[in-house]
Amino acid sequence: MTRAGIRAELVRTERSKSRAPHGARGAATAAIRVARVLLARAAESVVVVVVLASTVFFALRWLPGDPARLVLGDEAGPAELAKVRASLHLDEPIALQYLRFLRGLATLDLGDSLRRPGTRAMARVAGAIGPTAELALLAVAMGAVLGIAAALLASGPWLSPRGRLWVERGLIVTAATPLVAFAPVATWALAVRFRVVPLPGDPDAGAAGLLFACALLALPLAAHVGRIGCASLADVARQPFLTVARAKGGGPLRVWVVHALPAAVGPIVAVVATQLGALLGGAVVLERMFERWGLGTLLLEAYASRDLPVLEGAVVAAGGIFVVAQALGAAVHTAIDPRVRAAR
Amino acid sequence: MIAARWRDSVPLVVLAAISTAGALAAREPIGRLAPMRAFRGPTWTSPFGYGEAGVDLLPVVCSAAGRAMLLGAVVALFGFAVGTPLGGAAALSRGRFERAVDRACDLVQAFPSFILALAVLSAVRAPSRVHIAFVFALSAWAPFARLALAETRTLRAAAFVEAAFALGRRPSGVLVRHIVPHLMGVGAVQLGSTAASIVVSEAALGFVGLGPPDGVSLGAVLDQGVAAMLRAPHVLAVGAIAVTVTSGVMLLAGRSFAGVITSRSSR
Repeated sequence: MTRAGIRAELVRTERSKSRAPHGARGAATAAIRVARVLLARAAESVVVVVVLASTVFFALRWLPGDPARLVLGDEAGPAELAKVRASLHLDEPIALQYLRFLRGLATLDLGDSLRRPGTRAMARVAGAIGPTAELALLAVAMGAVLGIAAALLASGPWLSPRGRLWVERGLIVTAATPLVAFAPVATWALAVRFRVVPLPGDPDAGAAGLLFACALLALPLAAHVGRIGCASLADVARQPFLTVARAKGGGPLRVWVVHALPAAVGPIVAVVATQLGALLGGAVVLERMFERWGLGTLLLEAYASRDLPVLEGAVVAAGGIFVVAQALGAAVHTAIDPRVRAAR
Repeated sequence: MIAARWRDSVPLVVLAAISTAGALAAREPIGRLAPMRAFRGPTWTSPFGYGEAGVDLLPVVCSAAGRAMLLGAVVALFGFAVGTPLGGAAALSRGRFERAVDRACDLVQAFPSFILALAVLSAVRAPSRVHIAFVFALSAWAPFARLALAETRTLRAAAFVEAAFALGRRPSGVLVRHIVPHLMGVGAVQLGSTAASIVVSEAALGFVGLGPPDGVSLGAVLDQGVAAMLRAPHVLAVGAIAVTVTSGVMLLAGRSFAGVITSRSSR
């Protein structure tokens, strides 16, 4: 870009700055807009959790097969069946059951666990969320950092064009490799054959075990983040403001990390949000593989013993985590990308 | 030219043929137990070795891969058939319907569908392949609808669409005659990646113990491999390679379909 072009661009950014709303009135309308967006988001989150919980509720009651018989098996006598039906309220009309279920959802109380009478289903779920959240959050952080680093390497001037191509190819191959296939193989190689890392299911594996499990979970996420990051950075790289930053004497690190990355963060946050479901599924697989306690182990246990209240609670909790994470993603996007901040 | 575009689907055809042949040529019933040869390594007569309780892995992996491919293809085609017209119709009608479909796609696509699958499958006593297909079909339409929505947003301003409206075609007619044929190309790529992800999800369900009751699933082989990691690493290797190859072949085939369709429509 020529010097005159740069000057024109600078003038244009100055003008657009001065057009931003100033004064009390502007601030008030902006606040109202933010409040409306937040309210709409919250309403949507509630709808998502209710629809999800209802799907599970109706699947359990409408699909052929008697839930009470599912719980007790074929040999159960009529008296026992009647008892389970009463404790699950299966003898009431479906509308009443549904209302009861919705009330339980609102008060976060879905009744007692069938397998451990006296324990609230939600209490068991709450106990299992911690370990899974730890695993998932660390994996998201790790995946985002690794993926962004890979995207920067593949787009910035640090590597030769050949090296950049190889980084990109590596990302494509990693993204196409299924977690369920490579996680056991990596565990066999690193933890069993060469004993570089401890087995994460081992009680005294500690932080190293957790980090290894997180790294396994983070790798597919990192590959997706890296691929989207490359595309997004390629878009941003054509923007005039990077030329301005370079013209002002910024080094490559400053130009790419301080100026390019925040503008490219939107699609990255979006891809983390869309990969979150896959991440939770992966957490279930890893928890099962390493016999680590968490939401996944609880779900599988509740599945195997048909502990319906716990199952419903676990699904609702997974939906809740998902909704919260989506909202967090939007908040992060707003906080980092200056263009979104300006639009507010 | 066409031949070159079909090249990427060769692996799919080869794998389908091998898996059918491997399953048909089995010398004994698939999954026959023979505890004497449990976890024996690969030999010339049984190149994949033996698994838990002496199951010959070659016919098991062959028939499991074949069924996984079939499941992936059927569910992805269903998603294609439902999602593409839905997304196209949403973008054509604009307004509230468009926004609702857009947002629903976002949510369904990002949703932990694996966990939903667990919950829905718990409603049946022994989940069969039909149940598993049904559960995957619940979310398979979303990526297609989203792609169709994005494509139709640019297509709806095109001159030929306006002309069709001006000539008095109804929206449904425009959708079927003019929009949907243009959505085939992008849909085909998505077909491959959806089918691949269903193959992987099926393996993951089998891995955590929710596979079909006959135990013929790539995930079940992986599960055996993990349990016998120390004694018989070949089981794990066979399972992992089988899942990766099967899903990779589906991805490639999707690309080749897309190539064929775009080359036809551009002529």
